Amino acid sequence: MIAFCVRRAMWMVLTLWIVFTATFFLMRAVPGGPFDGERALEPEIEMNMKRRYNLDKPLPVQYGIEMWNYCRGDFGHSFKMGDYTVNQVIAEGLPISITLGLLALGFAVTLGLLAGITSAVFRGGWADVLLMLVATIGVALPSFVVAGICIIFFVFLIPLFPAAGWGELNQLVLPALCLGAPYAAYIARISRTSMLDVLSQDHIRTARAKGVGPVRVVMVHALRGALLPVVSFLGPAIAGILTGSLVVEQVFAIPGLGSHFVYAALQRDYTLAMGLVMLYTVLLYSMNWIVDISYAVLDPRVQLK
Amino acid sequence: MPLDARNLFAITALVLLLAAIVWATMGTALPPADFTFCNGTEVKSFDPAIVSGQPEGNILRCLFEQLTQWDPETLEPMPGVAESWEISDDQRTYTFHLRDEARWSDGSPVTADDFYYAWRRFLGPRTAAEYAVLAWYIKNAHSYSLGGSGISPGDAVEVELNLPVDATNTLRGELLHGKLISVENADDPESRTFLIEIDGQQQRFDPADDQDAVGQPVTGTRWCRQVLLDFREVGVEVLDSQTLRVTLESPTPYFLQLVGFYPFSPINRKCLETHGSPGWTKPDSIVANGPFNVLFRRIRDRIRMVKSKTYWNRDAVRLGVVDALAVDSNSTALNLFMTGKADWIFTVPPAALRIMLEQDPPRNDINPSPYISSYYYMLNTTRKPLDDVRVRKALSLALDREEICTVILGAGEMPAYGLVPPGMVGYEGQQCAAADPEEARRLLAEAGYPEGKGFPRMDILYNTDEAHQTIAELIRKQWQRELGIQIKTRNEEWASYLSSHRQMKYNVSRRAWVGDYLDPSTFLDMMVTGGEQNNTGWSNPEYDRLIKAAAREVDPEQRMQIFRQSERILMDELPILPIYFYVSKNMVKPYVRGFYNNIQDTHPVWAMWIDRDHEGPNEFMKGRP
Amino acid sequence: MSTDNARPNDSTSKVPATKGMSLTQDAWRRLRRNRVAMVSLWTLVVICVLAFFTPLLPLQAPDFTQTSLQYAEPIATPFWLPTLELDTELIASTPEAVAQLETELPALETALRQADQQFDRADAALTDDLTQEQRKEALTTEQARYDDARFALRQKQAEIQDTVQQPYRKLGFANLGGLSRWMVQMRFALFGNRSINSVCGRDLLGRDMLSRLFWGARISLIVGLVATIVSLSIGVTYGAVAGYFGGWVDDAMMRLVDILYSVPFIFVVIFLITILGQEDVADELTSMGIDRITVFFFVVGAIYWLTMSRVVRGQVISLKNELFVESARSLGAGQARIIFLHLLPNLFSVVIVYLTLTIPRVMLFEAFLSFLGLGVEPPDVSWGLLANEGIKVITPVKIYWWLILFPSMALGVTLLALNFLGDGLRDALDPRLRDE
Repeated sequence: MIAFCVRRAMWMVLTLWIVFTATFFLMRAVPGGPFDGERALEPEIEMNMKRRYNLDKPLPVQYGIEMWNYCRGDFGHSFKMGDYTVNQVIAEGLPISITLGLLALGFAVTLGLLAGITSAVFRGGWADVLLMLVATIGVALPSFVVAGICIIFFVFLIPLFPAAGWGELNQLVLPALCLGAPYAAYIARISRTSMLDVLSQDHIRTARAKGVGPVRVVMVHALRGALLPVVSFLGPAIAGILTGSLVVEQVFAIPGLGSHFVYAALQRDYTLAMGLVMLYTVLLYSMNWIVDISYAVLDPRVQLK
Repeated sequence: MPLDARNLFAITALVLLLAAIVWATMGTALPPADFTFCNGTEVKSFDPAIVSGQPEGNILRCLFEQLTQWDPETLEPMPGVAESWEISDDQRTYTFHLRDEARWSDGSPVTADDFYYAWRRFLGPRTAAEYAVLAWYIKNAHSYSLGGSGISPGDAVEVELNLPVDATNTLRGELLHGKLISVENADDPESRTFLIEIDGQQQRFDPADDQDAVGQPVTGTRWCRQVLLDFREVGVEVLDSQTLRVTLESPTPYFLQLVGFYPFSPINRKCLETHGSPGWTKPDSIVANGPFNVLFRRIRDRIRMVKSKTYWNRDAVRLGVVDALAVDSNSTALNLFMTGKADWIFTVPPAALRIMLEQDPPRNDINPSPYISSYYYMLNTTRKPLDDVRVRKALSLALDREEICTVILGAGEMPAYGLVPPGMVGYEGQQCAAADPEEARRLLAEAGYPEGKGFPRMDILYNTDEAHQTIAELIRKQWQRELGIQIKTRNEEWASYLSSHRQMKYNVSRRAWVGDYLDPSTFLDMMVTGGEQNNTGWSNPEYDRLIKAAAREVDPEQRMQIFRQSERILMDELPILPIYFYVSKNMVKPYVRGFYNNIQDTHPVWAMWIDRDHEGPNEFMKGRP
Repeated sequence: MSTDNARPNDSTSKVPATKGMSLTQDAWRRLRRNRVAMVSLWTLVVICVLAFFTPLLPLQAPDFTQTSLQYAEPIATPFWLPTLELDTELIASTPEAVAQLETELPALETALRQADQQFDRADAALTDDLTQEQRKEALTTEQARYDDARFALRQKQAEIQDTVQQPYRKLGFANLGGLSRWMVQMRFALFGNRSINSVCGRDLLGRDMLSRLFWGARISLIVGLVATIVSLSIGVTYGAVAGYFGGWVDDAMMRLVDILYSVPFIFVVIFLITILGQEDVADELTSMGIDRITVFFFVVGAIYWLTMSRVVRGQVISLKNELFVESARSLGAGQARIIFLHLLPNLFSVVIVYLTLTIPRVMLFEAFLSFLGLGVEPPDVSWGLLANEGIKVITPVKIYWWLILFPSMALGVTLLALNFLGDGLRDALDPRLRDE
């Protein structure tokens, strides 16, 4: 386990370096710079701006400076929000995204697993069809449509929740639902499929033959095997949810990382975009790491290498 | 072990989830603000010198007060920090008398030195102020803000020496004053060396950044931060702590209004030099002189401001707590307004706007009104076939601007046949010909494209936005319908869209301009040869000459005449196709008082108050049946 | 409760293999018994056929604007609406006009080639010690001549295109391919100028929603299908190889996947679309026949294989310890044989399920890009674009329900059918069920 973790950590450093390098050069290859304000700047002024952000130096030197700063954990100032450093933006946005994400995830896992198992057990029945129908609709509609319709229904027709904002409990519910819905649907489908797989395997039939009750068969014996693909889906899902869905955060005006992230990309806020890419990388990597460990925990046949 | 680990796994996840919910709900619910408005996109900074844009303007007008203020309704300049002023007979010298009771939020008095300090910083090349161009009406300000490129031999110059690398970044280095003898490598801004006579001695200076200025320079030269025009040559002068004298390049009728614009705010030197930039704009550190102080700021959420306890005119400020919400999406803003979470929004999705204007009984919270802003299409005149004036005219004649205004916009926007919007005092706009498809087809055929056949593949560029997209779509269809030409549309994100403009990588592109002050020059100056906003490649010597002449003209009537002549040229040559003039699209709750429509769509929050018992239309609804 | 009840307990599985009952035939028989799956299959077939034959249907033109009918509500009476008539005479005369124009092409091509050679010669004649700027200056006339020649050629090519497309364009069709043009002609021969009224309402510019839905289907389906197939072929191969070999191969391959995973792909897409949307690049690409949609296929295809490879690998890891693989190995089967013959068929159910999940995701991603304004460009339409346009006009004061309902339904029904078909296929294809 320890050897595994050490090796993984080394890979992570390598990953971060590659991602850093790729993003760095990719971003500088894109047309449009951070200083393309509506007013063209005097050459002298533009040179000063560039100097302030080290953009006047040759590319390899910029790369070196930037890398050194990142190694010290200093992500620099945001180009577009001059009053903030990237670290501050992350510090403000991350907790919000984490809260929203965990809520959405809890919602997704609970509802998804429940629906998936139910429909696997009652395969072919009306419950199965209905649940899969709902799950499919959850996958089948773009989240901006779901969110838009939710607002019309639950804000204006039945005024239950506020339209937007952040900070109070009733402001959390709608966005968490909208953010979690597609993931719940995925989980329902995946868990149904794998549950069916497991239910047809030998050890389940053996357990049944031994006279183990149907509920126990499903909840104890089958569930463990069926969780495997769900867990492997959770890795990307958690990271995707955590960094926040842009659409949901935008529609509900939530100041999470999701909106920071896409605005940074679209507005060529090099420094902020870069910092968020690195953060996203670390998050995704750790999630995959955890997934691999939980794979081993859940399935004894898999060994950590 | 596996079983325990499994349980542990599940328990950890559950605990995390619970903790998250607890944490989220624990977040102390904010006490509601007296007045809340949706302020569009996230504000870039609180530093008045470096920002531009409407959201920033709304905040900075709350935090800072300038020499003059604008009347919320008429926009006439009225006393701000300056309680009175005198204008010399040649209209080139303004003497401002500051009021004694003006105070910073730390209690210290606001003096003429604060303005002097702020304006020098505003103009300094190292500040890189985007709006610096507005201060170029002040004598020698342009040369000063150009730094090393703005001086020529014989000029009085100042040399700013380097500071240690770890010095606070807002400190200025020691200044040496002298006379410029010559510049070596004058063509290359990177490697210029300045020969300067200081106290009778000639010295050579090599500008370099502090971190580069560590080694020994070439023998006989000294490092310095920068060499620029002596600021004492610039027309800003402190007569005493309460008196500031400003000398202009030429008479500028709108100068009093200009100094009420937020980039001309005073800055508290102590605050800036203690915290450095951008640290000084932190809510905890910032020292400002306006009617409100910032309490806290949450990124992409809100800026909360409270009434200042030190502002000289605090008795006139009636709002206690003000929230500026950062909301990017128009629909979200509208939702917040409709559910009563916002009292003022300044953009409305076009689809909703049309419906709301038609509602019966008429709504009491919406009242579109014209303001000085033009929406137009730029044509890249360096490319075929747009270099042919007949083609440009054909494109203009084939446009049905009425259709655009009624079908897509529908808030009472006016079709534009000229660049300068109505509302400039003493100026009547010059117009291009109205729609005439027959003539358009004839011109196009004459240019070699009968029925549009063979017309090169072109696209209309616009920045990603719903309204721009629909307009581009409709114009594409109009041109196809009337001229038979096939055009595509292309959207780009704001940043790449601007860089496409600057590199002139487009054929036809959407553009808009909001006047900074009430004078035709804010529009017409754009189109001079090589002008920073003239990304059409169009150049007309006569036009350039007229614009130059207008800047020197003292007689207002004569000046307007020159502007009329120049717009005439513009509308005959059509490097741009005017489309429509904007209207403001504010929605204001009926209980908000002191909110006026005006032709710059500028609404100072300090003038507003809440009056829930108020009945009947408020100031905002004035003029609407 | 028991899953055995749901399983078709028929005799097919007992047919001896010697009779030549192949896996596919067997699966097909099973699938036919699954009613939901068959309904889904037929739904998809109908949708695809309709999409393919859209130009043949008596619909209004998708890009024909009538601003006077802005936001007209769905209307079914009268059912038939007279629309513009196709100008058959003009079409009949086009081949001749095109042939005439084409005779002028070679001369222009030669002129362009000559201008190019001249430029090269002039360039070679210059000395090397000139700066970039000076070179440019010295070659101004040659550059201008080259540009003129290219412009003339492009203009002629455009003229040919315009001559061909003009009759259709006037009616409000986007650029059509040869087959579609033929179908449009047939449509007018069959139905005359009659078109179905706007039973799905009209949009902001008064365009007919029904025909936009049909034309949008063509693009949405192609986007989903092509991109998924690209991602599928990469992902399965990659995942199977990694999972099977294990050890450092697996490690290295999966680390690469991790690294790619950690690159937020919204960036990649935005970057690629902005770089490829750059005027000069786009110009070059268009002349090679590559448009934004094609780029989209490959970008998305190249992104979505990651999940697939990861899932396949996971399955292969747990499968490769199974008995049948061991026995194949002990019988001396080669590694490629084991992967492709023994492991992949066992992955089929997972692959199918992921396929049915990936097509929707691709289509949704296309919608997401439309939301950001980076999706399909007008005059082309896709369901994502329509849904986005629909949601944009939903406001608290007025809901144009038809603009959001119909595109959502089109997307929803298609993806629903895909999912149910996937389930049915899984049941039919699962070899372990077959063993019973």
